[in-house]
Amino acid sequence: MRNLRLLLPLIAAVAPAAVEFNRDIRPILSDKCFSCHGPDDKNRMAKLRLDTEAGARAAVVPGDANKSVLYQRITHQTRGLRMPPVASGNTLTEREIGLLRDWIDEGARWQGHWSFLKPVRMAPPKVSNPAWPRNAIDHFILARLDREGLKPSPEADRRTLIRRLSFDLTGLPPTPAEVDAFLNDSSPNAYEKVVDRLLQAQRFGERMAVRWLDAARYADTNGYQTDAERSMWRWRDWVIDAFNRNMPFDRFTVEQLAGDLLPNATRDQILATGFNRNHRGNGEGGSIPEEFLVEYSVDRVDTTSTVWMGLTLACSRCHDHKYDPFSQKDFYRFFGFFNNIPEKGKVFKYGNSPPLIPAPTASQEAELKVIEGRLAKADDRFERMYKERKAAQVEWERSLDRSRPLDWAPSFAMTAHYAFDGQTPGIAREGSPAFDSGKLGQAAVFDGKRYVEAGNIGQYGMLDKFALAAWVKPSQPSGAIVTRAQDIEEQSGYGLYLHQGKLQVNMIVRWLDDCLRVETVDPVKLNEWTHVAMTYDGSRTADGIRVYLNGEPAKLKYIVDDLNQDFRSKEPLRIGAGNGMRFHGSIDDVRVYSDALTSAEAAALAVSTPVNELVGLESAKRTRAQADKVEWCFLERFAPQPIRTAWSELHGLRKQREKFLDGLPTVMVMQERPQVRETFVLNRGQYDQPGEKVTRGIPAALPPLPRDASLDRLGLARWLVSPDHPLTARVTVNRFWQMLFGTGIVKTVEDFGSQGEWPVHPELLDWLATEFVRTGWDVKAMMKTMVTSAAYRQSSKATPELLQKDPENRLLARGSRFRLAPEMVRDQALSASGLLVEKLGGPSVKPYQPAGLWKELSGGADYQRDHGENLYRRSMYTYWKRASPPPGLMTFDSAGRETCTVRENRTNTPLQALTLMNDETYLEASRKMAERMMREGGATVDSRLAYGFSLAVSRHPKDNEARVLKASFDRNLARFQREDEPARKLLAQGESKPDPALNAKELAAYASVASLILNLDEAITKE
Amino acid sequence: MNHLSMTRRYFFSRTSASLGVPALAGLLKNDLGAAESGTLTGLPHFAPKAKRVIYLFQSGGPSQLDMFDWKPALSGLRGKELPDSVRQGQRLTGMTATQTSFPVAPTIYKFAQHGNSGAWVSELLPKLAKMADDLTFIKSMHTNAINHDPAVTFFQTGFILAGRPSIGSWLAYGLGSENKDLPAFVVMISQGTGNPADQPLYDRLWGSGFLPTRYQGVKFRSIGDPVLHIKNPEGIGREDRRHFIDELSQLNQIRLDEFGDPEIATRVAQYEMAFRMQSSVPDLIDVSKEPERVFEMYGSESRRPGSFAANCLLARRLAERGVRFIQLFHRGWDQHNKLPKQLPGQCRDMDQACSALITDLKERGLLEDTLVVWGGEFGRTVYCQGKLTEDDYGRDHHPRCFTMWMAGGGIKPGVTVGETDDFSYNIVNEPVEVHDLHATILHCLGVDHSKLTFKFQGRHFRLTDIHGKVVKKVLA
Repeated sequence: MRNLRLLLPLIAAVAPAAVEFNRDIRPILSDKCFSCHGPDDKNRMAKLRLDTEAGARAAVVPGDANKSVLYQRITHQTRGLRMPPVASGNTLTEREIGLLRDWIDEGARWQGHWSFLKPVRMAPPKVSNPAWPRNAIDHFILARLDREGLKPSPEADRRTLIRRLSFDLTGLPPTPAEVDAFLNDSSPNAYEKVVDRLLQAQRFGERMAVRWLDAARYADTNGYQTDAERSMWRWRDWVIDAFNRNMPFDRFTVEQLAGDLLPNATRDQILATGFNRNHRGNGEGGSIPEEFLVEYSVDRVDTTSTVWMGLTLACSRCHDHKYDPFSQKDFYRFFGFFNNIPEKGKVFKYGNSPPLIPAPTASQEAELKVIEGRLAKADDRFERMYKERKAAQVEWERSLDRSRPLDWAPSFAMTAHYAFDGQTPGIAREGSPAFDSGKLGQAAVFDGKRYVEAGNIGQYGMLDKFALAAWVKPSQPSGAIVTRAQDIEEQSGYGLYLHQGKLQVNMIVRWLDDCLRVETVDPVKLNEWTHVAMTYDGSRTADGIRVYLNGEPAKLKYIVDDLNQDFRSKEPLRIGAGNGMRFHGSIDDVRVYSDALTSAEAAALAVSTPVNELVGLESAKRTRAQADKVEWCFLERFAPQPIRTAWSELHGLRKQREKFLDGLPTVMVMQERPQVRETFVLNRGQYDQPGEKVTRGIPAALPPLPRDASLDRLGLARWLVSPDHPLTARVTVNRFWQMLFGTGIVKTVEDFGSQGEWPVHPELLDWLATEFVRTGWDVKAMMKTMVTSAAYRQSSKATPELLQKDPENRLLARGSRFRLAPEMVRDQALSASGLLVEKLGGPSVKPYQPAGLWKELSGGADYQRDHGENLYRRSMYTYWKRASPPPGLMTFDSAGRETCTVRENRTNTPLQALTLMNDETYLEASRKMAERMMREGGATVDSRLAYGFSLAVSRHPKDNEARVLKASFDRNLARFQREDEPARKLLAQGESKPDPALNAKELAAYASVASLILNLDEAITKE
Repeated sequence: MNHLSMTRRYFFSRTSASLGVPALAGLLKNDLGAAESGTLTGLPHFAPKAKRVIYLFQSGGPSQLDMFDWKPALSGLRGKELPDSVRQGQRLTGMTATQTSFPVAPTIYKFAQHGNSGAWVSELLPKLAKMADDLTFIKSMHTNAINHDPAVTFFQTGFILAGRPSIGSWLAYGLGSENKDLPAFVVMISQGTGNPADQPLYDRLWGSGFLPTRYQGVKFRSIGDPVLHIKNPEGIGREDRRHFIDELSQLNQIRLDEFGDPEIATRVAQYEMAFRMQSSVPDLIDVSKEPERVFEMYGSESRRPGSFAANCLLARRLAERGVRFIQLFHRGWDQHNKLPKQLPGQCRDMDQACSALITDLKERGLLEDTLVVWGGEFGRTVYCQGKLTEDDYGRDHHPRCFTMWMAGGGIKPGVTVGETDDFSYNIVNEPVEVHDLHATILHCLGVDHSKLTFKFQGRHFRLTDIHGKVVKKVLA
């Protein structure tokens, strides 16, 4: 803002004389008056509002400032009566008072807020030098320069241009070969060819995606408290891919905001909606779910309105907006589009929380197809054997010796089976074991004291599938059946219990707030044998638990459904005891499975009649479960070899497919609840203070939703990209402009409201916005238009005159010169050193980071850095932990990814200097760069130094620069030659090994100069 | 035109948005001469009583009931249900909201009155108790948040959600630093013996939010480099680094002459500052020249880098060097269960180090212009979390009342503000909210909390948002 003030007098001095409301007056009224005389109904003073024309008329007499109350009050002699009041902390400057006077005297012409009016496409204006413009952009830029009496700068040299273009369009520097090719291309469209090549590169998608990830608050962790991992990288890769395929921005918008609501939505379209699940999620024990449900939706409103409309809608959460025409009710009507997700306020502490979808990568998709193809074939093969195998089974049953005991139970994934036929496994506790006749042979008898410790069996956690089954004959309504839990009431672990007659499944980390408990609605009968089974799918939810009584699915009551952390325990598996409870009665045939059971398997397991007896039953009289048991016994053990093989193949492939699906990455996505959640205005923004009930809708100050639009996210998304929307295209092209020129045409890229900056080139902004829509929201075309303008191609050298007149270079009488974006600083070093590993997408990676950063914050596990290739991927793939974001990127002003960030920020600090000088990343890069200098840089020291220089800045050093480089080299070489140690130690930086073929002392000297080069201001600057 | 002089003027004028130092605003001073203070125009708003703050943040939620807020009437109510008339249906955390019983758990520790002020302090804090007359207690602190993450974030930034600047950043932004080669805002972290699986911290707690990143806190670490990358790699000595920076400056100067971009001059200066920090920071953390009695005073733990005691000693050294905002985060105060097992050790770690720090500051004449603040993000419940047994109890988070203390610059010693009911459940007198505490801290530094603002997203933001009243009673 301070700089703007420097600029303002200059503009005022040469701008057309007439005062323009939107440019000159609204900013003053907004900043100094609106907080008491603005849109906020409740806090409005003296019933005066100055944010509407009708309201202002009460205080303004057009054409006569002296008769206008507004002017009288701002110039009042008595301080107590002069506006703005002392207490507000605001004052008006002489200049502002003058502007208000002139405005009133000139007729007090009112304008609607500029950004809420549809952009008007003006013909590119005439300019003083028609030879300069290369496209429409330049007409607007030059016309303004003409008005200011400034001249554009000459075009930058080709080396500068290709480096500038390469960073801007791909985020990486050009290679020496690319520079040479451009220098040697004498065709008239040489520049355009470079642009086209860069726009086609896969790197383009990566470059464009980074800023989008900042806006979308994308990260690899949940962001609250424990800040554990989540997995949204498949969404991140969708973004890269969308930019690379040049997906039109309107489609890009609709799919991310409402892809799930599109007719016949594809998996990719649903995946795209991960955009609005990237916000932080709170899984802290004891957090209040309702509170955070509200926060998530607020975040979505804030992010969506900032990214697409440049509006600070979130300011109207607690009260009417102070500056813009949005009421608190408007906020909650908009909020209503985003609060209807079937989500929980308390998210899973670890991993993705529902709703989510499996999101296979292209190669996984292909692999899945292969498995499914094989499965279909195996299924087909097995089915084609139908007659043959039925006949064989009949034959087998007929010939079976029914007097010989034969039984069968699912054995796939069975890890333990305790028959209790006169023996107990493990250790008997609290008394010697006792047996009685059981359901199958004998059973163990429990007297409320003794129990069995079976040992380290069933070590399962919250993400494991498992199942437990047993026959029980309880004599009392409460007791533990099979458990792996601390033997104290309601302590951690899992188990199957009887509780007041009901069968209960417990999975406990901390009772009440981190646990899961379901129980059957129907009781288990006392003194009767009942088969009990539970099976769990590893989903952490009560929905993932099935309980069977005598093979029938039991109706369940969810007591607590709030499992968040692993319940794995060091306790042994116990039978008849656990959580301080004991069993009374008999237990028989306990089975533990390290997989979930299907309902058919659970039913078959509950068939106590052995197979040799079942075959005596006519097949028509067998129950489904009995028939299954006989058939599976036959298929598994007695069928002719080809049938048995076909069966086991089919079974194996089914398991393989299941396992493959379980291993796929997932992505959290948007979904609609079938029953729309009611939305209320929340008084003071508090989750527990609902007020008036509201319906979904758009703030009245913005164009209405079309009549036929659906009143949901899809309708909203389509409305945002309707050609008449005043904001979306402007806000988007303004961000693109910021990426290339360093500052937006509207500097406040996040705020196009009345407190935002008046555009420095309003007609240009509108031209670009309408052009964007006219070309079908073509992102690559828009970038191309910008980078092929003469304005973009100017040299960034500044004359003292220009520096004085336009220190921030808002008028663009010269090219932009500013520090590289945070990720580019590191990526350039990797690229110049040849270390860079280019691979599109995939899970995030963990490159070098000083040890201990995670541990000192949490006391928990520290950052485990990767090895090999993952150390050298582009920085956009670096693992983003919100509580402790990558220091190398944060030091260079990266967005923190906790909330939506659209403004690019650049500081210049000693910590940056320390990083570039001493971080292992840059020291290793220097060494690898030195190797390139020695191998590829020619035979002489000078040529090698020049080559290294050009690797970073794409040009050769001038004589005076070469002299400094050479002196540095000589100095370093001399010191490395004096002793062995320093060179050896310096070269040991980083995981990669120095090339043993190279002289270590020379290499160290080159590495020292390479480090010098990577520290140059020019090296980390886009000139 | 002489580029350098032009750019130097530009550089000094503090108009460049990108000119910056992470919480190192004060570093500029040396280059700028006495005229430039790194302080915002108009600040301080009035004569400050304190020049700097040492904020001893006790992360996890220390139990006021077992340390400061003596409730003798509770001993007769042991195991009895907390009356509904006390609880008044107030919200509880998800951890105990479904508990069916809320038995009163009186403290098992003895309390006594200390000093002329007669402050009640428990036997867990024998050393602090002796300094009671130097301290000012606020027994009526309360907060809006009930869980760690939002609650700590609220204390640090005045807002429960991420995204706002921390209090130290606000002060670095407003007041700059008094030291030419140390950051204005320094953070140190330690882990107590109490609850080792305690609540984590987050970089955002000392982040600069929407303020320029140069105002963020610089974390001084006990593992590895005290400031990231402050050490030259092996094979590069200090002399070599000096040569390196000279050569770099020559090359940058060539570019500056050609391009005239003042940012290049800034970069040159930043490398000089980096070089100075490379000696000032190690010098700061090198305690080997501290006399034996200092270590005795702070306790043997003070020899172990990264301990709370060692950080307290460093806090004094930072205060001596004029660092504006020194913040220690000490973890381990989250006693949901096993309080009798965890709290004594946790208190011992803190008791000696804190009392040594105050004594030390006093002896050096630093206490009069150093404001010391002690406290956590909330208190703990009078009712027992989990099972109340003869020798065991736990306490859940309690945002409705808890105790903090302050000492030093601007503070009237020996005062107690506020009062809670017989259950230390509700405040009955002189409530102090987080924004009030912030307003009071700023006031001690000569800053009117309603006037320290930053415009972001069209709004003039404050640390205290639209709230905050200075707690006059604690002021000297």
